[in-house]
Amino acid sequence: MPDEYTPPASPTASYYDLSDDDEDYSTITHTSTGRGVKLLYTKSKVYVHPTPSAKDNIPGFIALIQQKPPPSENTSSAPPGTVDPAQLLLAWLPESALGSAYDTYVKVDLLDTSSTPKQTYLVPPPPVSSGTSSLGSYSFSVPVSQIYSLLVRPPSLGWWWGSIVINSRGGDSFPALFFHDSECASTIAQGRARTAKTFDPFGESGELFWGGDEVLRWLKRYVKVERSEVEKSVYLINPSSDDLLSFGQKPVIDAMAAKRNAEAGSSRNSAVAVMDPFTKAIKTARWTLLEQFARVTQFSRQTANNLMDNPNLPPQVRKLLRNPDVITLQDDFDSARLYLARWAMGIAEQSEKERSQIVWKREDIMEMEDSAVGEFEILDIEAGNLRIDGDRRKLVELKEWDSWWNKTTGRLEITVDEVKERIFHGGCDQAVRKEAWPFLLEVYPWDSTKDERAALMNSRRDEYVRLKGSWWDDLSRREGQGEAGEYWRDQKNRIEKDVHRTDRNIAIFAGEDTPHPDPDSQYSTIGTNVHLEQMKDMLLTYNEYNTTLGYVQGMSDLLAPIYAVFQDDAMAFWAFVGFMERMERNFLRDQSGMRAQLVALNQLVMLMDPLLWKHLDKAESTNFFFFFRMILVWYKREFDWSDVLRLWEALWTNYLSGQFHLFIALAILERHRTVIMDHLEHFDEVLKYINELSGTIELNSTLVRAEALFYKFQRTVEASDRKNGFPSPGTPQPMVRLTHRRSESSSVSSPGFPAPAAGKGKAVDGPEITEPLRALLSREILRVEKKKDAQAEEGGKGKTPVRE
Amino acid sequence: MSSRKKVMLKNKNSDYKLKVIILGDSGVGKTSLMNQYVNKKFSASYKATIGADFLTKEVLVDDRLVTMQIWDTAGQERFQSLGVAFYRGADCCVLVYDVNNQKSFETLESWRDEFLVQASPRDADSFPFVVIGNKIDVDDGKRQVPQKRAMTFCQANGNLPYFETSAKEAINVEQAFEVIARNALAQEEAEEYTGDFGSSTIVDIGVGSEREGCAC
Repeated sequence: MPDEYTPPASPTASYYDLSDDDEDYSTITHTSTGRGVKLLYTKSKVYVHPTPSAKDNIPGFIALIQQKPPPSENTSSAPPGTVDPAQLLLAWLPESALGSAYDTYVKVDLLDTSSTPKQTYLVPPPPVSSGTSSLGSYSFSVPVSQIYSLLVRPPSLGWWWGSIVINSRGGDSFPALFFHDSECASTIAQGRARTAKTFDPFGESGELFWGGDEVLRWLKRYVKVERSEVEKSVYLINPSSDDLLSFGQKPVIDAMAAKRNAEAGSSRNSAVAVMDPFTKAIKTARWTLLEQFARVTQFSRQTANNLMDNPNLPPQVRKLLRNPDVITLQDDFDSARLYLARWAMGIAEQSEKERSQIVWKREDIMEMEDSAVGEFEILDIEAGNLRIDGDRRKLVELKEWDSWWNKTTGRLEITVDEVKERIFHGGCDQAVRKEAWPFLLEVYPWDSTKDERAALMNSRRDEYVRLKGSWWDDLSRREGQGEAGEYWRDQKNRIEKDVHRTDRNIAIFAGEDTPHPDPDSQYSTIGTNVHLEQMKDMLLTYNEYNTTLGYVQGMSDLLAPIYAVFQDDAMAFWAFVGFMERMERNFLRDQSGMRAQLVALNQLVMLMDPLLWKHLDKAESTNFFFFFRMILVWYKREFDWSDVLRLWEALWTNYLSGQFHLFIALAILERHRTVIMDHLEHFDEVLKYINELSGTIELNSTLVRAEALFYKFQRTVEASDRKNGFPSPGTPQPMVRLTHRRSESSSVSSPGFPAPAAGKGKAVDGPEITEPLRALLSREILRVEKKKDAQAEEGGKGKTPVRE
Repeated sequence: MSSRKKVMLKNKNSDYKLKVIILGDSGVGKTSLMNQYVNKKFSASYKATIGADFLTKEVLVDDRLVTMQIWDTAGQERFQSLGVAFYRGADCCVLVYDVNNQKSFETLESWRDEFLVQASPRDADSFPFVVIGNKIDVDDGKRQVPQKRAMTFCQANGNLPYFETSAKEAINVEQAFEVIARNALAQEEAEEYTGDFGSSTIVDIGVGSEREGCAC
């Protein structure tokens, strides 16, 4: 029996291209009509932990299953005597889903696994899953040929259960599987047998024997399993030579990195020698730490003092600051002043708060200086892998789109996630946009029929006409002298000013051949065109729909691409309404939504790239204002028109995160980290540099990089949770606050257990996963909470919202 | 704190780096003025400014080479609260309105007050402002703010220098910025002379010596 697997003629890249998801489905579909599949190995009491609460844990079986090769496919891909990895499935099934097969699973679990199975046990084929785990049922199966790597974390002190996460070649992660060894009959038996035989309860490498080892052992019988040299918890399945190079024998990319790695390695071996420089490093860290803290407190105190005690402060402002209740009743600029004062205070407070509950401790960042050098080379390699899988990044064309829908009912016949996955990775062909965008922007529900959509659109058209009529027909506002009239005309002027300078380089917005309908307009001498007029009408009508926001600069930038794609005012209007659902927080009067995103970005950079963060901090740039424009209008000013359409539809899918745009920001920043760290030392330099990236950023590589960064982020959070003794949720759990630190686990020496995720070598205390960070795992979009009375105001047209 | 900023803004080629902030309502032509002055270009198709940006230009002021860093900001009031990030250390503030837009003139005072709150210069009374009435190229029938009225306003607010310009036709732009540069330089020098005794002496001592080191 081969313990060491000799690979068959190793599957080539073209082979993987061939065996895309569709064909794997059909294979299983074929077997499901037949007798079933072979259950080679299984292990019981393997749990999915969908929530932090133990009572939600779902017990199940992990299983290695062999299915019949598809009848039509060429059988020459695997030499006789070996099993084609495409025929093997690694699956997890909840106990509750097994039905009558449960007994078979229990039986196979208890079989001797020291050799290949002698007897064939057939079970019903497991359900196929396309990858994402957020679809309610957690059961899944994945062809072994589709597994890229396993993230294996043995049990350790402070973390009772070992776990395995399967990463597919497509970049999907399945929910973490936790091995409850103490409940698992086979693991208990195997552990006992081991102890009896060797008097050593530990595995070969001195680690505790646990269930996950068994899974690796099963796989090793059929495929090549290589432990990554770089990330010890990663095991690559049938790695290509490139994979090996990147994860195994790390190539000498630069001599410095290699040297540092070597140094880190040698210092690990001689713990005593490390002590002294370590202490020294801490001492320097303390000094910088104190110095910087002093500066911050001084800054915020000064800001507050400047606002309250500055003798030059205009008296009205001082009055305003003292009587916050009166302020909202003041005119335009008085309240604006209050807001800015609040903003200034908020920033100061925020920055203090951030420093007391930072993501990394400063000492940790110091510690990382040596070890983090190779990190981004690994990221490059990961991004490279994501880029390779060809078909997934193919444009969705009309033919493919149409194939997803029932010809007669017009109902979607694949899962919403599958559609989103395709759009996220491939983008839409121009012709598909008109079809797909109404779904992405929540005009149409995904589960609707053709007829339902037609009916819905009819009523939406009527509603648009009604909303538009509410200002169009209201002469008291258009011409009246009252407050409502003044407000309306002010809004109209703002909108007009911006529409006339929005995307005029795009053909449909370029023309000036139509006489301006309003002779008093400042544009009456220049002329306009029908599309500009439609844009103005839609933005004015949006004020009737959303009666509290008012037009804010940037909104015309958001509307233009939508209108250009539909060229149908009612459809474009409702799609814009959908877009604004998620963008409204960018435009709030108190700027709280923008601030929250800049804070989240700050923390994301700190978590993912502490050294770059430290540099930005030194450059007084951790307010991340230089991303303001990018975040406000979703990179509209950074990419050219066609890239904006492609980027937005990817972001609209929420495929990985409802805030994926922040990972785009991180990707852009990472791309330029060397320049930033080597050459930019002040806020103005950073701002200028980032502003001038406009028009130079390559979108596709940015998307791939952002995706790789997201996965890395996800792993980092999981690693941190694990370190905290906090179950890693299979699905995103937004807004969970971690309060307890993990000092107990780091204070106990635990030989043989892997070092924490981030530190390659030295012991670095883990990161703090803050609320804004954890929220980035959620696929939900963040909507502005609507006050009840705002809804009640509907119909109360001509209301004057709080003025700026 | 502010003198520390100044030192950091020093440029090795020029004697001084002057920070100028352009403020005013949305659409009055802030970006156009800056571009006309720095790049000698006018484009009818500027987009509304989002966030903030700046351009730099080296100029000779009385035989001294100075680098002007001119900051252009979003005009909508809602975004002004961002100003706190870049108003600090300003040497001159340019208030722009559109002579064909009454409202943009009426808000000048508020822009001025707001700047003072956020930048909090040491002496608000002496801080240099320059007022610009832009878009004088538009035909006379459209003009809403008579020159006299603007000048009265500038006089009443401490004899602020006043210019009427057209960024489009490059009228008076150069002249306005010459005064802006001169006043900014004067402000910079006055601040240096006065020194910063008020606060954080430790920081200032360290920085002061650093400054002397590179000034020669």
